[in-house]
Amino acid sequence: MSATTRHLAIATTIAGKDLRAELRGRHAVTSTLFLAAVTMLIFGFALGPDRDRLAAAGPGLLWLAVVLSGILALGRLHHLETEDGAFELLGLYPVSRAAIYLGKVLGGLAAMLALGALVVPLTVILFGVDLLAVAPGLLVVISLGSVGLAAVGTLYAGLTVRLRAREVLLPLLLLPVVAPLLLAAVSATAVLLAGDPFGELAAWLQLLAGYDLAMLLAGGVTYGLALEE
Amino acid sequence: MPPTTIHVRPPGVPDETTPGVATRDLARLFRRSPALAGVTLEVEAGRAVALLGPNGAGKTTLLRILATALRPSFGTALVDGIDVATQPDAIRPRIALLPHATGLYDDLTAAENLAFAASLMGIPSPERADRVASALDRVGLTGERNDRVSRFSAGMRRRLALGRILLGHPRLVLLDEPYAALDAEGMALVDVLLEDWRGSGTTVLVATHAEERAVTRLDGWIRLEHGLVVEVGGGGVTGRVASVPGAAPVGTAMPAGSRS
Repeated sequence: MSATTRHLAIATTIAGKDLRAELRGRHAVTSTLFLAAVTMLIFGFALGPDRDRLAAAGPGLLWLAVVLSGILALGRLHHLETEDGAFELLGLYPVSRAAIYLGKVLGGLAAMLALGALVVPLTVILFGVDLLAVAPGLLVVISLGSVGLAAVGTLYAGLTVRLRAREVLLPLLLLPVVAPLLLAAVSATAVLLAGDPFGELAAWLQLLAGYDLAMLLAGGVTYGLALEE
Repeated sequence: MPPTTIHVRPPGVPDETTPGVATRDLARLFRRSPALAGVTLEVEAGRAVALLGPNGAGKTTLLRILATALRPSFGTALVDGIDVATQPDAIRPRIALLPHATGLYDDLTAAENLAFAASLMGIPSPERADRVASALDRVGLTGERNDRVSRFSAGMRRRLALGRILLGHPRLVLLDEPYAALDAEGMALVDVLLEDWRGSGTTVLVATHAEERAVTRLDGWIRLEHGLVVEVGGGGVTGRVASVPGAAPVGTAMPAGSRS
């Protein structure tokens, strides 16, 4: 087995374990799905019944709900692993840190996509945004945004998981770092809905892809620090 | 007493003179407070040695450094002649740790927990199921193989964590309070496993408060207090004993003591 194949096998094993545990325990994603739905509802009420205003705010609120609930889900997924010392033990197996990181990213990505699957229909229903008309393009934007959020969120969740104030520190540290992702994802979604009149979509998608790549590389190199005390 | 000789070897098969574990002036600080304050010792390969001492003596810290979970603040620690701080990737395939927390996943079954560990240990998939079944049988959990760990008692969790060690063939086994939460049958199981590891040439370090049990069953013992070695006894272990426990600050030379 080549080193790359072995890394991928390790990563899928870790992601599979995370998904199985989450599907059975429903400790992290289920509660954050509820938070995402409540966030959308509250903003919907706050903006009032003006359908134009709701439609204009739709892309921003969609991503705000995904980012806020996603940060909580990623933090919770990591925290669960520390409860009986499993996180420390994970670092003692003879496997590369990058493979462990990739596995945790894949697990986090599944959580992000689950959030997206809830938030998109809510955006359609609550804000009257016709997302279904741009479904293929939206799928690309949501996938790229979710990969970036999972990549950077996994890294920061790992780095803060042993800290007492992790619930406060994780969003505090992470939100400034995800600002470029949020800007690109919201802009790409808005441009997509407007029919891309100025041909900006490709640039926003490139920014998202570049962000994803940079965060995956940074995480692969530095995640080992999270596994050491 | 001359300073303890540390055998430094590149990764590979150690020769018979290479100690299973060797530390020199090993220290670890937590927020400037020393958990280990300069420990120098050698454990012969294939010997089982108890780490004794009160809570906070540094037993767990020593085990975690040897397991590569913690980096030393000062000093060196070698396993089979390999430096744990500079070559952790070479050490990890050789060690197995039973931590005080068991490191199990509550939402997975007993068999799934072991299969996950076996996969990360690099055990080929055709062998994995057999190894998992064998380990579960050995620790008496075959009947609970499909039960979620969240339903296990503390003793069953301890047994399952011991089963995880049995999946591989480590050169060094590090056990942190292996008798904790176990009934008489479980404690007897630990004794049998210790005997098996000794018979197979595996070096074993056991941090425990069950002093009488450990001293009568293991080759030797090391007593730690305030992060220092204050007593070394039995066979298979040598160490530099601090004459004034708790008085030596980190970074200063400790007075030489006896070697057993």
